[in-house]
Amino acid sequence: MTRSRVLGLAALVALVVMPWVLARHQLSLLTDLLIFGLFAMSLDLIMGYTGMVSFGHAAYFGLGAYASALVLLDFAQPVPVALLAGALLAGVVALPVGWFSTRATGIYFAMLTLAFAQLLYTVAYKWRDVTGGSDGIAGVPKTALFWGGPGLASPQAFYFLVAACVVLSLVLSLAVVGSPFGRALQAIRENERRFTSLGRDPRPFKLVVFVLAAVFAGLAGALFAPFRGFASPEVMFWVFSGQGLMMVIIGGIGTLVGPILGAMVFILIQEVLSSYTEHWMIFTGAVFVLIVIFLPGGLVGTARRLGARG
Amino acid sequence: MANLVEQLLNALALAGLLFLVSAGLSLVFGILRVVNFAHGVFYMLGAYLGFTTVALSGWFWPALVVVPPIVGVLGALVESSTLRFIYRRPPIYQLLLTFGLALILEESIRVLYGPTAKGVEPPVQLQGAADLGGLLYPRYRLFLVVLSLVVGAAVWLFLRRTRAGLIIRAVAQNSEMADCLGADVARVRTLVFGAACALAGLGGVAAAPMTTAYLGMGISVIVDAFVVVVIGGLGSIGGSMAGSLIVGAAQTWGAYYLPETAMVIMYAVMGAILIFRPWGLFGEEE
Amino acid sequence: MRRRDFLQVAVAGGVGATLGVPAFLRRTWAQGGPIKIGMPAALSGAYAQYGIQAKRAAELFSKDIKGKGILGRPVEFIYEDTAGDPATAVRKAQKLVEKDGVKFLTGVALSSEALAVSAKCPEWKVIFMSTINGAGALTAKAWHRYFFRVNTSGPMGARAISLYLAESPMKRFFALGSDYAWGRDSVGSFTTQITAAKKDIVGTDYPPVGTKDFASYIAKIRQSRADGVYLALPGQDATIYLKQAHQFGLNREVKPIMEILELENMKAVGDAMVGAIGSSRYPFTVDTPRNREFVKRFHDLHGVYPDMFDGETYEGLEWLAQVITKAGTDDVDKVIEAWEDSSYDGLEGPFFMRKCDHQAVQLGFAVEAVKDPKYPHPIPKILATYPGEKVTPKCRTEEFS
Repeated sequence: MTRSRVLGLAALVALVVMPWVLARHQLSLLTDLLIFGLFAMSLDLIMGYTGMVSFGHAAYFGLGAYASALVLLDFAQPVPVALLAGALLAGVVALPVGWFSTRATGIYFAMLTLAFAQLLYTVAYKWRDVTGGSDGIAGVPKTALFWGGPGLASPQAFYFLVAACVVLSLVLSLAVVGSPFGRALQAIRENERRFTSLGRDPRPFKLVVFVLAAVFAGLAGALFAPFRGFASPEVMFWVFSGQGLMMVIIGGIGTLVGPILGAMVFILIQEVLSSYTEHWMIFTGAVFVLIVIFLPGGLVGTARRLGARG
Repeated sequence: MANLVEQLLNALALAGLLFLVSAGLSLVFGILRVVNFAHGVFYMLGAYLGFTTVALSGWFWPALVVVPPIVGVLGALVESSTLRFIYRRPPIYQLLLTFGLALILEESIRVLYGPTAKGVEPPVQLQGAADLGGLLYPRYRLFLVVLSLVVGAAVWLFLRRTRAGLIIRAVAQNSEMADCLGADVARVRTLVFGAACALAGLGGVAAAPMTTAYLGMGISVIVDAFVVVVIGGLGSIGGSMAGSLIVGAAQTWGAYYLPETAMVIMYAVMGAILIFRPWGLFGEEE
Repeated sequence: MRRRDFLQVAVAGGVGATLGVPAFLRRTWAQGGPIKIGMPAALSGAYAQYGIQAKRAAELFSKDIKGKGILGRPVEFIYEDTAGDPATAVRKAQKLVEKDGVKFLTGVALSSEALAVSAKCPEWKVIFMSTINGAGALTAKAWHRYFFRVNTSGPMGARAISLYLAESPMKRFFALGSDYAWGRDSVGSFTTQITAAKKDIVGTDYPPVGTKDFASYIAKIRQSRADGVYLALPGQDATIYLKQAHQFGLNREVKPIMEILELENMKAVGDAMVGAIGSSRYPFTVDTPRNREFVKRFHDLHGVYPDMFDGETYEGLEWLAQVITKAGTDDVDKVIEAWEDSSYDGLEGPFFMRKCDHQAVQLGFAVEAVKDPKYPHPIPKILATYPGEKVTPKCRTEEFS
């Protein structure tokens, strides 16, 4: 077995035993971290494998959260139905957005995705009858696993659902980037001109991965709504998109696993520092600066380099 | 008629303010290829230092002269101690670095000044409203329009008509080539970054009498400035001016004629422009 | 302690070591220990001024009951910074409940945070005490028995100022509310009540939160030839509006009427604010013996005069302490029972917690910003005081009879 397989297996075992190891609030925190980890991982699919920086990824997380909240609260369907609805809605909306945005590249692509995300944010903010406006939708229940099936209200049950979703999404994403399709994406990232000169159009590839990333982000949002019990416009705001970028960079761009860890570190740093001081932003900022300067590949990239050296 | 003139002046005044902020942002991108997220915080710092200068001297005018160099020097120090090391990386790293810097600066200002906004009075000469043939319009807003035009012209002339401007443009076009030809690229970058921060500081001083100096003003302005710069085309001073006019008009006229769209009109305009011109109005294909 | 917990998560996350025990032990110890009050407050970000007010009040309260405690047990406040974000607020609140074992949450600043956190309280079985949140829905559509509102709500403030305006010579009003729940609800209540008083609303607008330039709105307000403009704008937006309206010379023509007339605005706007009227949830200038003493103690500790949420949060804490003492325990269900239909002698007057929706019935104030050489900034002068029955909505609604 390769080293990465061993590490992967160890991580899987660790995830399974966590509910017996951690105190209740730690398990809640870990569930939260995994949800944001999934969000960051989905962003890495576009950022890390095609080089396109989306500044509007929060919109798809938010769409997933709203869809899930409505399905659970108004239609009382089982959680997996809500997850499906969230992922689907995010994907469907990402299709036209991606079609327009992939016309541009670089910072212009980032700004187009931002523009569309703010448009979607405004819809969520203004469509008060459906979304509850600025207050959002509160009191979203954790319903059952399937019709008449066991409830997911216990922290352990919901944790396992989240962990399963994250692991499955990760495995699926790894398969995608390892496939011929994934290699085409990386060819685009490395040299888009050459790719075009080989007679192939890069845009369909970009569009597919953009939609795929939105689907995973939507899934993360759909998990968030029942876990935190609400969906509100803040989860669609550009600030959250920006935070997603931080998570990816901290964890290691183009590694998929890295951003999951990056999200955890990103939130834990703030969580811990903000318990000590209300001026935590100074220290958080300093940590980001140091990470960027001294850990160019993020946590996972740097670890791999050190591993390869040792 | 008076109403139309007032609408026009409102758009121009806001555009003037936006231009003072976005000109530096555009310069830094055009020459350093850095998306400087901390730019808004330098603007905020300018506003707060403006407040301090006015409080100490009892005058507004000295603030316009004293504050920009201070903010500029601080900017140059920041560039040479952090950004300098990561120019070779993809732009997203510089964005994250400047985001970290923004957090540090923003919170430091809060520690120094506290959470309450600081009001700054316009200079005596510019207080109250001027009578423009029956239309009463605040003198200070008229001053903002003039100030931004003067600054825009000065920056443009500097870049186009001076030797230093020539070197800067050379670095912007091809920094390796400029290096070979004997330009001190590192120094040019530091100076440009510092100058851009000084511009942001000037914008902050100018904004303070209109909006007060408050926490969060940097974050709120940086998004507008990004939109301005992207609409105009990154790195183009003329583009920033056009972008400022478009965003200023969209925001003020949107709020007046289509109030329900006020939240989103700026993004809608940017989206529409980018769909037809993916590199902005004056930008060149990357 | 906190550092070790972080390491626990970090280490356990990596290798799955069994390190969860100390947290569990600490929990059992907490049962007989201090009474813990959790404050997931906005201490940084755009709304920090509100969280900081809640914290200042708690600091004074801690000092005042030092040595006495509640039921002979010390009181411990645990502050967590939410930065004004609902998702963070819920996470921090959950941490306070699950890890620190708090049974009382307060100090939540924004309505959106309050709605998100409050919705979780029945599940956590903890009391949510609002001392800042104005959203009418909290005691109407979104109400549950774990929620208590000590402060004057948004509709109550709109009611107080409407009662005042009904008697005034002003006839035409423009309503300007920030485009979010509080702004829209307040404008809604104001419109209903002003129309009922046979006066006119000549225009309504909802500028986005964080508007930097109000010139377009100022032009519209001037053109509407209104006598007064009703403003439901959050702190910084109100400051910017008042500054700019002053520069346009509008404040002389159209009187600013604030949904909440805060010291925070008066400090930032200065003399340009003089003459503005509005409702106040707690004006520190109320002349009662209790309040005079409170203002002095507050000023001694913090060096500033108490703003609205300083006063309201202090009252909430004092009342909570009184109720826990009455219940003889900090058991949540018993505290709820003891609190319902109980009375409290507040800083500015009597309070009564009605059972049907846990809204505290209290005095309503109409105030005006005036200059007073004794103070470094304008202060609220009380124009009129209304009894609680007149300014409190019908049970579990946002409407008045």
